[in-house]
Amino acid sequence: MGIRLHQEPQLENPILVASWPGIGNIGIIAVDTLRGKLEAEEFGEIEPQEFFYPKRVLIRKGVLECLEFPSSKFYFKKIRGTDIIFFVGEEQPTEGGRMYAEGRKACRMAGLVLDVAEKFKCRRVYTSGAAVALIHHTTKPRVWAVPNAGSLISEIKAYQNTVLMSDIEGRGGHGNITGLNGLLLGVAKKRGFEAICLMGEIPVYLQGFPLSYPKASKSVLEVLSHSLKIEVNLDTLDELDQKVQQRIEEFYQQVPLEIRAQLDRLKRVAYAQPAEPGPITEEEEKRIVEDVEKFFKKRGEGG
Amino acid sequence: MNQGYPITIYQEPDLHQSSLVLGWSEDAGDLGRKVTDYLNLKLKGQEFAEIEPDDFFPMGGVAIKDNIARFPESKFYACSEHELVICQSDSPGAEWYKFLSSVLDVAERHCLVKELYVIGAMVSFSAHTTPRQSLAVVNLPEMKEILSQYDLNRDMDYQTQPGERPTLNSFLLWLARERNIPGVSVWVPIPFYLAAMEDAQAEKKVLGFLNERLGLRIDFCDLDQEIRRQDEQLALARSRFPEIDDYINRLESNLLLSQEENGELIKKIEEFLGEGD
Repeated sequence: MGIRLHQEPQLENPILVASWPGIGNIGIIAVDTLRGKLEAEEFGEIEPQEFFYPKRVLIRKGVLECLEFPSSKFYFKKIRGTDIIFFVGEEQPTEGGRMYAEGRKACRMAGLVLDVAEKFKCRRVYTSGAAVALIHHTTKPRVWAVPNAGSLISEIKAYQNTVLMSDIEGRGGHGNITGLNGLLLGVAKKRGFEAICLMGEIPVYLQGFPLSYPKASKSVLEVLSHSLKIEVNLDTLDELDQKVQQRIEEFYQQVPLEIRAQLDRLKRVAYAQPAEPGPITEEEEKRIVEDVEKFFKKRGEGG
Repeated sequence: MNQGYPITIYQEPDLHQSSLVLGWSEDAGDLGRKVTDYLNLKLKGQEFAEIEPDDFFPMGGVAIKDNIARFPESKFYACSEHELVICQSDSPGAEWYKFLSSVLDVAERHCLVKELYVIGAMVSFSAHTTPRQSLAVVNLPEMKEILSQYDLNRDMDYQTQPGERPTLNSFLLWLARERNIPGVSVWVPIPFYLAAMEDAQAEKKVLGFLNERLGLRIDFCDLDQEIRRQDEQLALARSRFPEIDDYINRLESNLLLSQEENGELIKKIEEFLGEGD
C-alpha cells in the first residue's frame, strides 16, 4: 500500500507543485488551474484506502459495483528546462473530526509525495494555501511566501505582490501554516528539499465562507508562474472570481451596517507597509475580528 | 498481535469453512447487537478474539449507557458446530481501513471464512405494522444468484447522495471482494419511532434469513413471543393515545408526517414503551 505509478516519465530537472484543499481552496485551485492549463498528464496516485473513508458508493441491481475514495494524483508536464510534477490531493487525510490533516497519517502522506519527488530527482517543492488577513474582498490579495531555507529569501523578495512573514505587521516573522500544505514544507526540509509555500490572502471575514476564493488563487498563480518562468492565461480564474465576488457582495449587503462600516475600513489596509502607522489600530483590528465572529455566530445560531 | 494489527487471539477456533456474521452495536433498533446476541445465546458462541480499541475509537474517556460505563468492544465468537463466526463490534471512529482489514484478517486467517454476512438497519418512515422487506447488497454477482431462493429484495439501485458518505458495511463488502470473499449486507427497515429502541420484528427478519441460509435450526418461539409482546404494547399505546393512533394510521395510509409530528410520535412511543420496561 502506497504509491501506484502508471508510467515513469523521463523528466529533466523537475520541480514538484503540490496542494490539498484548505481555506477558500486557494492553493488547490491555483495548482489545479495550472495543471489544467498545461494539460499535464496523470502518471500515478497514492493508494487511498489507508488515508480516507470512501466518498461514494454505487449499487446497481443489488450489486456493489464501485466504491470511490478521494483521489491523490500525480501529473507531469514536460516543458523545456522546467519539467513539472503536480500533486493534487482531493482531501486532506484528517483524523478525529479535525478540519486539517495532522499527526501520523499526515506525515505519511507528505512522505509519500516526497518519495515521488525524490524518485524523479525534483530540485524544488512548491506548496500553496491560504493566509487569513485583514483585507477587504475588493482589494487584490497579496501572496505570503514561506520558504524552508534562508537561502530562498532573496529570491522571494524579488517576486511581485509577495511578502515574507516578517513583512506582515505584528507577526515578527512568525506564524503557522495549518494542515498538509504547511506540513509538506517541514517534511521537505527534513528530507533535504528546498521548498516554498505560497499563500494567497483571504479576508478574515470570509475564512468560514462556504465558497472558494479565486481572487487569491490568481495572485498565487501569478507568483508561481513567474517563478517557474511560464506564461499562463488566467481568464478562467477571472471569470470564476466574478461569480464568487457577486455572491460575496450579496452576503456583504446582509451584514449589519455597523459591522459593514468597520469592514469597509479594511479597504485601506491592504498595502500598508510595516513601517507605516496602519490606518487601523491594533485595538480596532481586534474589534473588527470580534464583531465579525459575533455576526457569524449569531447567523449560525439562527440556523 | 498479528502483523502489526491489534488483534488478540485468546484461543484458535476450530473452524474450517465458516461464515462470518457481523453486527454493529449501535445500529438503529439496536439491530446488530440484538441479532448477534441472540445468535451467541442460541448457538453458544465462544469468545476467541478481539480487536484492541486504541487505534479506532476516541480514548478521551468513557461513554455511559443505561447507568453503566461502556468501553468500545470488537469481539469474535466461534460456534464450531455450525461453522459460524459472530463478530459484534462498536463502529470505529477512525482508521476504518485498518479496522476492517483486521476483521477480515481474523476471518480469513483464523476462521477460514468462505462467506460474509453484515447486518444493517435503515430508518424507515413506514408504520411498524408494514411487513418488513429485507434488502440485500452483494459484493460479487455470483452471491446474488446464491441468494435468489431467499425472501430478499436483491435489485436495489443506490448511489451516495451529496453530503453523505457510504456505510461501513459497503466499505467492508468492498474490502472482502478484494480478498475474493463473497459477502452480503442485509438491510432491514426500522420504523423511525422504534429506531432508538428495539424492533423484534426486524430482528426476526434477519435471523430468519440467517437461520435458513446457514442451516442453524434455531427455534424462534421466544422471539415470536417478544414480537407479540411488542405488538401488543404498540396496540395499547394506540388505544390509549388517539394522537399516536392518528399518526400511525396516517403512516399506514402511506402519508408522511411533518418533522414536528415525527418528533412527537417518537417522544410519545418512547415514553410509553419506556414505562413498560
